[in-house]
Amino acid sequence: MSKPFNELRERLLRAGVAPRHVQRYLNELADHFNDLRAEEERAGSSPADAESAAFARLGDPDDLAQAMIAKPEFQSPFHSFCVRAPWAAFGLAPLMLLVSAYVLASIILATGWAIFLPQSETPFVPVHGFAILYFGVGRMLYFWAPILIGWAIAFVAARQRLTALWPMAGLLLIACIGASAQVHASRTTTVSTGIPIGPSHVTLALDSVAATKAIAISPWHALALLTLTILPWLLWRVRMAYPAAR
Amino acid sequence: MPPRETNPNFMNGVPELLILRLLQQDEMYGYEIVQSIRTRTDSVIAVGEGVVYPVLHALERDGALQSRRKTINGRSRIYYSITAGGSHRLAGLSESWSSLTSAIQKMLVGGQHVQAVQ
Repeated sequence: MSKPFNELRERLLRAGVAPRHVQRYLNELADHFNDLRAEEERAGSSPADAESAAFARLGDPDDLAQAMIAKPEFQSPFHSFCVRAPWAAFGLAPLMLLVSAYVLASIILATGWAIFLPQSETPFVPVHGFAILYFGVGRMLYFWAPILIGWAIAFVAARQRLTALWPMAGLLLIACIGASAQVHASRTTTVSTGIPIGPSHVTLALDSVAATKAIAISPWHALALLTLTILPWLLWRVRMAYPAAR
Repeated sequence: MPPRETNPNFMNGVPELLILRLLQQDEMYGYEIVQSIRTRTDSVIAVGEGVVYPVLHALERDGALQSRRKTINGRSRIYYSITAGGSHRLAGLSESWSSLTSAIQKMLVGGQHVQAVQ
């Protein structure tokens, strides 16, 4: 796609128009431009003149952009959900996703414990065979969910050319929750023999104990998560800011 | 050289009306719509051709139009056609536009009449 269309794309995305609307608009404009150029060439214009005339007929880039973004932000049918409700896109949605991932990880842990380790006091013991895979899925969910959700936030922010405020807030929220969420597993045992007798309990909590007893660990964990998720986005922003460095 | 664009102050709602009227007869793609407007209005109404697409997309979103991708002579294009809701909207817009133009016409003719009397 030629330079004027690339500039128009950047402008529309930065104005908050949803990427799918931008893509469709640009595709139709490109088709229209090809029709106009062909018409001008049929009328006897040279290829260069035909291209200039086609661009002129297509419309001024300002008008083409304004036609999509002129309406007030919250009434425009073309603005993306992230622009209309950033609190939901970068706050509520990632939070719900993370909680869902943790709940699923806890269910996998609890069911795995009941199926593969019915006599064990804790599920955090070495396992063998299929249990490795089963517990592995839960562990992957638990450890990777904040990172994957952070990357998803960064991807959406980059794709829609969003300003840093809301994506940063979302990344910070995910990093803090990811750093403090802890899974606890317990089961009642007999005092004399230590043999488990009661049902197993798996609970998920924001670990206030870790925050008070080992206050140095949780912030570093949060910082590590934040760095890991924010880095690709920061690199992308630098590349966009200094295109010559590409 | 591209034709001079129509005064935008008089164009509010006009592209929508013309597009709905054109698509009532046949389904068309963007380029066809613009060329038809130009031809049928003897180039009196001319806008930047690209700005027709946001109007089409908004009408589609409102349920007045529907679109489908069609390949003709090896080129894939998005064709638009009017819906029942669009026909209803066209009827309302046409009625408003007719009332408005007849009122303006009355004013203009009335002005000439006053001048003739003086």
